[in-house]
Amino acid sequence: MRFLVSILTVLVLSLQPSYAQDSRVALVKVLEGSAFAIQSGERQELRVGQQIFRQDVVETASGTVGLTFRDGSRISIGPNSRIVFKEFQYSPNEGKFAFLISIVKGTMQYISGVIAKLAPGSVKIETPVATVAVRGTRLLIKVGG
Amino acid sequence: MYAPRPLQVAARRCFPILLLAFLGACAGPRAAVVLLPNQDGSTGAIEISNEAGSQIADKPNQVVRVTSKETKPQQPAVITETEISKEWGPVLRVSPLGPKTFHMYFQFGTDELTLESQNQFPRIFEELKRYPAAELSIVGHTDRAGAAELNAALSLKRAKSTLRRLVEAGLKHSRVEVESHGENNPLIPTADGVAEPRNRRVEVTIR
Repeated sequence: MRFLVSILTVLVLSLQPSYAQDSRVALVKVLEGSAFAIQSGERQELRVGQQIFRQDVVETASGTVGLTFRDGSRISIGPNSRIVFKEFQYSPNEGKFAFLISIVKGTMQYISGVIAKLAPGSVKIETPVATVAVRGTRLLIKVGG
Repeated sequence: MYAPRPLQVAARRCFPILLLAFLGACAGPRAAVVLLPNQDGSTGAIEISNEAGSQIADKPNQVVRVTSKETKPQQPAVITETEISKEWGPVLRVSPLGPKTFHMYFQFGTDELTLESQNQFPRIFEELKRYPAAELSIVGHTDRAGAAELNAALSLKRAKSTLRRLVEAGLKHSRVEVESHGENNPLIPTADGVAEPRNRRVEVTIR
């Protein structure tokens, strides 16, 4: 019975329209070698044009990958890196903005987009040792080594 | 005869291991953050903070290093281009193209594009080809004069009309979004109630 209930719960959850709260974050634009996304627990190799959603993790080994967010922000991710796409909201008509990614290890570049322009306080990049608050800008981060 | 006690043996054997563990802890997670100048030559600002304190970097190529969560981020220092390309060379090679925006204007009070705006279509199609997995966003904007709801309705109508015209001109594209941002993203910031024709536009952005 409990098994049946959990199956039903999963079904109900998966039937909710996935764009209801628009969880789309960014699109893969540039790829050198291979990079991977962990999306809803499944690890898969990235392709150019692939969508990254809120809560996804992007990992590289020897490869590198560049992504453009819906607000025009861009990040590129170096080799041996791991980035978590924690929060993203881009709703200018409601005045709601959020941008939070976490670099667990490796290297990255961030170039700001519309969110940093309209809501400068809402762009944050976490590292294991400090948080970076961004006010409209371009920056590089390295974690480890 | 002297026989070493078990504890001493253990300590001697473990010492190198303990030393490695200690060094490992010291080398363990740390971060460097570099502020780069923007592509237009200006420089923004970043604040790096943790529980021990914070630092602000606001000059080009300043680096702030952080050695642990419990240690205040270090004073900003200038990093050389050589060091930047050594650490971040592979990252800088995969920067996606920056977004490109075209401004569309309309005949007064209508959703009819001006001729000048329609003449930009060939350039839009040219640009679209340069972007891998290109996305197109068509967003209507208003100024802050008049009733916000009416403005928003007209700006959405204009955005939709722009898409229709682009499709008539040959746009074949799956990644298109059409919306209205109302008065929340002005080109020229103004006080409420101010008429500013340059803010009554549709932005066609390729990214």
